[in-house]
Amino acid sequence: MEYGQNISVKHADLYYGDFHALKDISLEIPSKLITAFIGPSGCGKSTLLKCFNRMNDLVEGCKITGEFKIGDIDIYQSADVNALRKNVGMVFQKPNPFPMSVYDNIAYGPRTFGIKKRSELDEIVERSLKQAAMWDELKDRLGKSALGLSGGQQQRLCIARSLAINPKILLMDEPTSALDPISTGKIEELCNELKHDMTIVIVTHNMQQATRISDKTGFFLLGDLIEFGDTDQIFSSPKEEQTERYITGRFG
Amino acid sequence: MNRSRAKEKAGKAVFAGTAAICIIAVVVIFAFILIRSIPTISKIGFFDFLFGSTWAPDRNDVFTEALAGQYGVLTMIVGTLFATVGALAVGGILGYFTAVYLAFFCKGKIKKVFNTVVNLLAGIPSVIYGFFGIKALMPLFGWMSPNGNASGLFLVSLVLGIMIMPTVVALSKTSLEAVPRSYYEGALALGATHEQAVFKTMVPAAKSGITASLILGIGRALGETMAVVMLAGNATEIPTGLFQSFRTLTANIVLEMGYAGEVQMGALFATGLVLLIFIAIINFLMGLVRSDKNSDKAKIKKEWLGALKNKINFSKVGKVVSWIAAIFGGLFLVAIIVYILIMGLPHISWNLLFGEFELGSDSVTIFPSIVATFMTVVVSLIIAIPLGVAAAIFLNEYTKKGNKLITMVRSAVDILSGVPSIVYGLFGAATFVLLFGGSSSILAGSLTISIMLLPTVIRSTEESLKSVPDAFREGSLALGAGKLRTIFKVVLPSAMPGIISAVILSIGRVVSESAPFMYTMGTSLGAMPTGYLSSSTTLAVALYALSRENFHTNEAYATACVLIIIVLALNLLAEFVGKKLQKKLSGDSSNGIRTKHKRKAR
Repeated sequence: MEYGQNISVKHADLYYGDFHALKDISLEIPSKLITAFIGPSGCGKSTLLKCFNRMNDLVEGCKITGEFKIGDIDIYQSADVNALRKNVGMVFQKPNPFPMSVYDNIAYGPRTFGIKKRSELDEIVERSLKQAAMWDELKDRLGKSALGLSGGQQQRLCIARSLAINPKILLMDEPTSALDPISTGKIEELCNELKHDMTIVIVTHNMQQATRISDKTGFFLLGDLIEFGDTDQIFSSPKEEQTERYITGRFG
Repeated sequence: MNRSRAKEKAGKAVFAGTAAICIIAVVVIFAFILIRSIPTISKIGFFDFLFGSTWAPDRNDVFTEALAGQYGVLTMIVGTLFATVGALAVGGILGYFTAVYLAFFCKGKIKKVFNTVVNLLAGIPSVIYGFFGIKALMPLFGWMSPNGNASGLFLVSLVLGIMIMPTVVALSKTSLEAVPRSYYEGALALGATHEQAVFKTMVPAAKSGITASLILGIGRALGETMAVVMLAGNATEIPTGLFQSFRTLTANIVLEMGYAGEVQMGALFATGLVLLIFIAIINFLMGLVRSDKNSDKAKIKKEWLGALKNKINFSKVGKVVSWIAAIFGGLFLVAIIVYILIMGLPHISWNLLFGEFELGSDSVTIFPSIVATFMTVVVSLIIAIPLGVAAAIFLNEYTKKGNKLITMVRSAVDILSGVPSIVYGLFGAATFVLLFGGSSSILAGSLTISIMLLPTVIRSTEESLKSVPDAFREGSLALGAGKLRTIFKVVLPSAMPGIISAVILSIGRVVSESAPFMYTMGTSLGAMPTGYLSSSTTLAVALYALSRENFHTNEAYATACVLIIIVLALNLLAEFVGKKLQKKLSGDSSNGIRTKHKRKAR
């Protein structure tokens, strides 16, 4: 069965031990759009994001109930986590390139899934870097350690690394919070390009960023999804008072 | 896709299995020592054995007949305790003040130099300490002794003290440096001087760590064998003076195992059992200190405020004492190295290093020992490194809170690292030697040392696995890679320098140890080994053999010289590689530019 590009969550609850981190969340994330999750720290937005590729499995004492579907596949029922993560890529808050060359970083995913031929890998590396608008910067430095790149470059390299295995959905967990404004701009531009091919879900602390790039926005507070809708609507005429107070900066 | 899941499961099972080997090793070692001890103790009589003050074994004693000899180990228990107390007095004080000095009174290059000095002191083989004691210290202190022979409690305490000092320094320093800086700043803000802040605030705050380091030092002193055998004089009497000959439990095993009769052999195993009980007590104390840590921290705040008020001159003298202690350790190291190089280098000859062994000839060659050492290194690494690395992977990458297997493996590793090397020797003699037809062999020796290496390899691999950031693991998993692939392609390569330094440290350990080899591999310098079932001596054992006879003093010096050069080189190499790990993981750009892209032929 193929993974689709939309995400559907029904009555999801998540506990870290005794702590109720997500409370009865239901939402529909449409395909090939950018959806932003906003809310104060500890509201559960990153936690929800990590449910979509089951990274929460790594957290000890984490219990998840409810239904998470990507396309038609219920991801907590199907056993193959690795195939899920191949289709749902993730970019982390802090850039985390492996201590290898630029080339090996990008080829890591394809090699994981059995591609060994040099010519094929070359092609994938070039395509991914072009897609991430980094080819011109990096084509002469493919053999150099990824750790020598600047923070912004490292983060875009991590995006390119995710792209190399053709994900249908890309999850981004505050991808620009550790970056300067220019690098942030580049990544936002990149998101706008990528949404022609894939669904993007981005967690952000930056309200302007949400308005600039997202089509849909979800506002979270203390584990509840307070409001979910079109970004324009959320920011211009929020239905809930809590949303309004947050986006106008009165708390959070 | 089921195949990949099966692979993951198989991988986990293999890692868990290797980790379980540590538990099995502990059980088997204790079982073997117990099996050999209990019949002997019951034959001799529990009280006669433990509290008998006469040790006069008879070679011909057998289990089926009445005993002609006497087998009381009281004098050796007392001797061991005296030696341990003496070593603690010297090494504890030196180590404590050196740790304070390194943590608070020295900076920059001097600190680096002293850290290296402490590491090297830890790396020098105990036969070298013993040899240095015999050749340099005995003549030096002869005038102090009533009979002109300086061997005895004084010299043992001094040398053992220096030997346990690095252990004390390492752990004390770590806990001193872990004290929050805010305590120090708080003390200064109340008007304390640097010295007062250090001795009244920082040191009390690290009390439990320092106590733990002293206990660890005691463990080391209890189990030390070769240096003690060479310096104690070994009479089975309770020492009444600092220069009287006495014997420890470990020495008893080494001295008599070579020619022991049936009951006598059993009594030696029972001696090993007594040693193990001592070690168990030490481990128990260690556990108490560790669990006490939290209550300690609560007390600290009260303590440092209160302590500031009563100013004793200690904080003024303390700095000077710390300085002297560190210098003393450094000087001792320099003295050993310089002395052995000066005495040994001129006698290193082609014939000594690479000559041919001739039966009955007077010319000594250590070539067979060099080959045997090399053979031992190869086999023990082939066994210990994969097992140790796999066990460390299990401990670090598959940890789930409260997993019983992991708790058990951890305590097994703790116990293995505390077991005295001579007990490993006993165990090897009782198992591997018998397994290979009853005669000692390089293979039996290698297997014995392999078990001994496990805790070292596991711990140092685990440290380097811990230093690999979780972000690497998450990144790999998020790309759809399985756990095994993540471990082998991302985690292990990042931890490689740490693993390589574990390899180097292991080589150093094999080269320096002698007690576990003597009765598993052989003690007499002989012909070139023809295979792994040949009996032979490693370099360290060869030095012990040479230093026991007075005919080949020059060759002994030269052998010591070769040994110390190898060990120093290995230690410096390990330190260098260790630094590489940090550079690699911090990812400075200069490193990145130098790395060339390698084409992978896969």
